[in-house]
Amino acid sequence: MTGILETPHGTRDFLPKEAAAKRVIENRLAKLFASFGYEEVVTPTMEFLETLTTSGGHSIESNLFKMFDQNNRTLALHHEMTTPIARLAASRLKNFPLPLKLSYNTSVFRFRKNQPQRQCEFYQAGVELLGVSNAFADAEIIALAAQSLQVAGLKDFTICLGQVEFAGGLMEQNNLPPEIQSKIKNAIERHDIVELEKIVDALDLEKSAADSLKKIPKLHGGTEILNQARAMSKNEKSLRAVDNLAEIYKLLKNYDVAEKINFDLGIIRDFEYYTGPVFEAYAPNVGYSLAGGGRYDHMLKDFGSDCPATGFALGIERILTAREQQGIFEDARTREIYLGYAENKIDAAIKKASELRAAGKIVELALNPQTKDDAEKSQAAKNYGELIYLEG
Amino acid sequence: MPKGKLFGLSTELLKKIGWTAEGLHEKSRKLIITNDEARLKFIITKTADVTAYVEYGAADVGIIGKDVIVESGVDVYELLDLGFGKCHLMMAVPKNKKRPRLEDYSHTRVATKFPRIAENFFAGRGMQMEYIKLNGSIELGPIVGLSESIVDIVETGTTLRENNLEEIVSIMDSTARLIANRVSYRLKFERINNLVTDLKTVL
Repeated sequence: MTGILETPHGTRDFLPKEAAAKRVIENRLAKLFASFGYEEVVTPTMEFLETLTTSGGHSIESNLFKMFDQNNRTLALHHEMTTPIARLAASRLKNFPLPLKLSYNTSVFRFRKNQPQRQCEFYQAGVELLGVSNAFADAEIIALAAQSLQVAGLKDFTICLGQVEFAGGLMEQNNLPPEIQSKIKNAIERHDIVELEKIVDALDLEKSAADSLKKIPKLHGGTEILNQARAMSKNEKSLRAVDNLAEIYKLLKNYDVAEKINFDLGIIRDFEYYTGPVFEAYAPNVGYSLAGGGRYDHMLKDFGSDCPATGFALGIERILTAREQQGIFEDARTREIYLGYAENKIDAAIKKASELRAAGKIVELALNPQTKDDAEKSQAAKNYGELIYLEG
Repeated sequence: MPKGKLFGLSTELLKKIGWTAEGLHEKSRKLIITNDEARLKFIITKTADVTAYVEYGAADVGIIGKDVIVESGVDVYELLDLGFGKCHLMMAVPKNKKRPRLEDYSHTRVATKFPRIAENFFAGRGMQMEYIKLNGSIELGPIVGLSESIVDIVETGTTLRENNLEEIVSIMDSTARLIANRVSYRLKFERINNLVTDLKTVL
């Protein structure tokens, strides 16, 4: 009979203290997103499989939880929110004035074996900004990501900013065939530098061109990286990518988050739909990224409604872990008043509790009459700040 | 740092670039050996565990064989081929029971310490096999009739010869690699990148 007490692989319960911490962070994020003018949307937990795999999502297909509807069409649980929101923007929101500024907070599902902080069901909050292709939009998204981590209580974190077009331009500059390009992209994404060097060495390239390709994952640091990257760019596309990063950085200074930003041109992200600036956020002693996002200008075209877009998502559980790492252990539960009463005061106690609650207090009303002694014990055991006792 | 074959070679190499600590030898009973001055902590683990420490960020960098990285399927950055610990992973069968083609072994039993790599290899050739995971002395499998073949690492081939086994196909080559946690690589980029550059000069 152990089975009935288990939860499925990759899922978890949040006990009251954990759920309270999660709720506090989600509320702060919702408030922050709203303060930037992003409005929340809710989409179905399941979508048609072809919707989720429309825009470069085929690599994720084997990680989706699938089922069939009554017509035997394949459904899948959403694995992220960017694709469902793109569907929404290309359908029911199609004739709404642009830009669309949307936010979400939901659980998403990906099947995977045990991996660090990667549950099969996990919680994401994020925003999407649709209809604007300029650096200003990207800067707003990155600033919002940084401020999200700040309102979640994290002090120590870094956002690494890359641009997928930089590596793309370098590969085109050398006329590399698409299958080699995707191999190189894959090696850069995984930072398998041994493999990257092997692939590049097998190509018949000039030394400087080969060195440039090998150097991509090592382009990490402050603004000096942009100069190095510019010097390596012998093509329009890469140069534009570097200029784009410089422009975003300039805007970020006004948001007071520039000191949290590093450049890293080896960041390509694991979804295939990214087309421009991309970023990931990290905190010390947490071995995986806390948040990530970037520009995806072609996804809506795949849904039949051409429109540039950018956005980000952050992992709620990962933020909770990072908070613990940074010594933030606040108990978000508030327990204000325990209300005990004698045998003949039941009616008065209910009225008193209602009054206090109407005045905004958090009140636990004893479920049975108690002596004052017992009420004091209950108050202490349940950790209430104040005891009100109605004597008989 | 993995215990076993790679340990001595790794510590020797690191020592050349000044990454060492007092009492850093395999027989040490300590699990963590610290060099405060150089801000280094050496964590000594079983070979197969190195990838886990690095993937979770409990260790920033590690040294481990490519075979172990692929078998564990972890998400770590692979920064440098250290060249030592050379071996290759192959399939071998008893000499007197060789079949004409690789496909002829379909649906037979294969004993291995590397079921994931073996399965990827055979699945890529459209072959289904029965994998029997063993933790050592893989070559025993065919001798006692546990399996028809083995997939194992080979350095010199002596063990194969002594047990009348013959390699019929090579699956992958392996050497020791320097690996890094993906967040450490970004947050401690300078130190890690210097480590790579320095190691390159002594390789």
